[in-house]
Amino acid sequence: MRDDAVDVALKIAGSIVRPLVYTTLSLPAVIVVASSFTAGDDLRFPPEGFSPRWYMAAFKSDMFMGSLWTSTKLAFVTMVLSLTLGMAAAFAIDRRSFPGKHAFRTLTLSPLIVPMVVLGLGLLQFLAWMRLNQSFLGLLIGHVLITLPYVVRTLNAGMVLFDRTLEQAAMNLRAPPSKVFRRITLPLLAPAFVSAGVFAFVTSFGNITLSIFLGFARATTLPVQIFAYVEHNYDPVLAAVSTLVIVVTLGMIAIVEKLVGMEKVA
Amino acid sequence: MSIAQAGSAPAPGALPASPADTVVSLCDVRKTFGDFVALEKLSLDMRKGELLCLLGPSGCGKTTTLRIIAGFLEADSGHVFINGQDVTALPPYKRDTGMVFQSYALFPHMTVAANVAFGLENLGIPRAERNRQVDDVLTLVELNDLTHRYPRELSGGQQQRVALARALALRPAVLLLDEPFSNLDAQLRTRLREELRRLIDRVNITTLFVTHDQEEALMLSDRIAVMNRGRIEQISTPENIYERPATRFVAEFIGRCSILEGRANGGHFVSKAGLRLPIDAAPGDVTLIIRPEYIDVASPAVTGIVADARVIATSYFGALTRIQLSVEGESLMMEKHFSAGRKPKVGDAMQVVVDPKGIRVIPVSAY
Repeated sequence: MRDDAVDVALKIAGSIVRPLVYTTLSLPAVIVVASSFTAGDDLRFPPEGFSPRWYMAAFKSDMFMGSLWTSTKLAFVTMVLSLTLGMAAAFAIDRRSFPGKHAFRTLTLSPLIVPMVVLGLGLLQFLAWMRLNQSFLGLLIGHVLITLPYVVRTLNAGMVLFDRTLEQAAMNLRAPPSKVFRRITLPLLAPAFVSAGVFAFVTSFGNITLSIFLGFARATTLPVQIFAYVEHNYDPVLAAVSTLVIVVTLGMIAIVEKLVGMEKVA
Repeated sequence: MSIAQAGSAPAPGALPASPADTVVSLCDVRKTFGDFVALEKLSLDMRKGELLCLLGPSGCGKTTTLRIIAGFLEADSGHVFINGQDVTALPPYKRDTGMVFQSYALFPHMTVAANVAFGLENLGIPRAERNRQVDDVLTLVELNDLTHRYPRELSGGQQQRVALARALALRPAVLLLDEPFSNLDAQLRTRLREELRRLIDRVNITTLFVTHDQEEALMLSDRIAVMNRGRIEQISTPENIYERPATRFVAEFIGRCSILEGRANGGHFVSKAGLRLPIDAAPGDVTLIIRPEYIDVASPAVTGIVADARVIATSYFGALTRIQLSVEGESLMMEKHFSAGRKPKVGDAMQVVVDPKGIRVIPVSAY
């Protein structure tokens, strides 16, 4: 009887808390998207009327479009590099036994543990020492570093589930290792690669802390640009640009959903 | 009485006796995993066209042997020959073997046809010829109407046939089967077993077959190598393995039997409990093996060694009833059909006859 009472209580509590959580999670995005379509001059919710004018303004702004391009370029190159390095690391962790393997594994995940501000400060000093500060390369190194844990983790999860008998079967059918990798391993690990790539892209695209530390005038990423803009202005173009960021991110997640299903990734 | 003849394993270190007739030859292959000795100086010859079965309990080294032949494992020492060529140092993709994996290992992202074509593609066979050969081999396994299906759309039995077709497509020197029936239910297993035997006979391919199922081994094999703890206990025909087990392990692993330990002396055997049986063997400690079908209920029609027995336990299997008997303190097992109402009950006294032809003598040194 007592258990039943507890169950009922938890059930009621759950039905109250759940909508609250979902609302709190989605409300900011909903407000931003809604206010981006305002016809008025002020950023406010609820919006006044409906108009795409602030999107036109955003598309015409060299500042925002330039930083959108920078962010996209940075996220893409970060994704490619992170996938390449992450694949090597994940394969080593999955298939080789070497001294310090456990430590190596922890090391690849460590950028997740170090606070981003500390990482940014450390990288700033390190890159200055390397004479790589104020360079796209420096920014890129930073972004690869913070995306690598996601890539290694996602690829490793995919590899653990991969049936290596298939590689043996291919070898038994006279396929040399390069062909086994190309025709068997890679296609079957494709879902893991796609999700790892999307994680890398989205993480890099949305990052602000590291980009503030490592960015410079000619390489201002979109989140940094929005952050800088909002200090002095407060108009609906911000909402329009932010909505673009949401759309890009959602688009990438939709790709994962379509290709592998989000539940396998998260 | 002569001791059961073991199959002729080659002398240690010997190269295959007649390379022309020997397809696979293992010479003194040893394999360890850390402290565990998986194979202890194993030597084995396979003749062209034969179906040889490696039979043994799990951990006996049978799968290790198969994987060493395929090249997935490297032997610590010793040599592997395929068609007279020393392949010990060759990688799997340079060895002329076709393997059917226990899990079948079909490529999930390829259709049935693409799975079968994969090996032919690696051999560089042109597309038209490749397609023809894929058709041929899929017809052979009666799957030519499923060419565009994916493995996940096939039943277990169909998957097994695809795996077999994929291995056969390359016409390998030796077909390697790793417990190919273990993933199927009992009924299907029996049917596919017969199908497999017919298929292998038709393509006349040298086949090495790994199983822990004695029934499978007895039914399918030309020869059986019974393995235990990394060694071959006996290699011979199924009949010899069953009727003339070379060691106590073989006798106990294959079929059922009564085992009597004791001493042979002057034409007699005296068991530890005191049961006396006339045998013809050199004096010394011996073990007697008696298969249940050589023990019968005494009647004027059967001749042999008559003994008084008491029924200890019975198990009914329909066609047969297995009866555990106590004969002068020793336990003997009999299997016989009893008509309705005639089945002996526990505690019954009866006279039994042991057929002297059914008594196998194994010197204690043989295990």
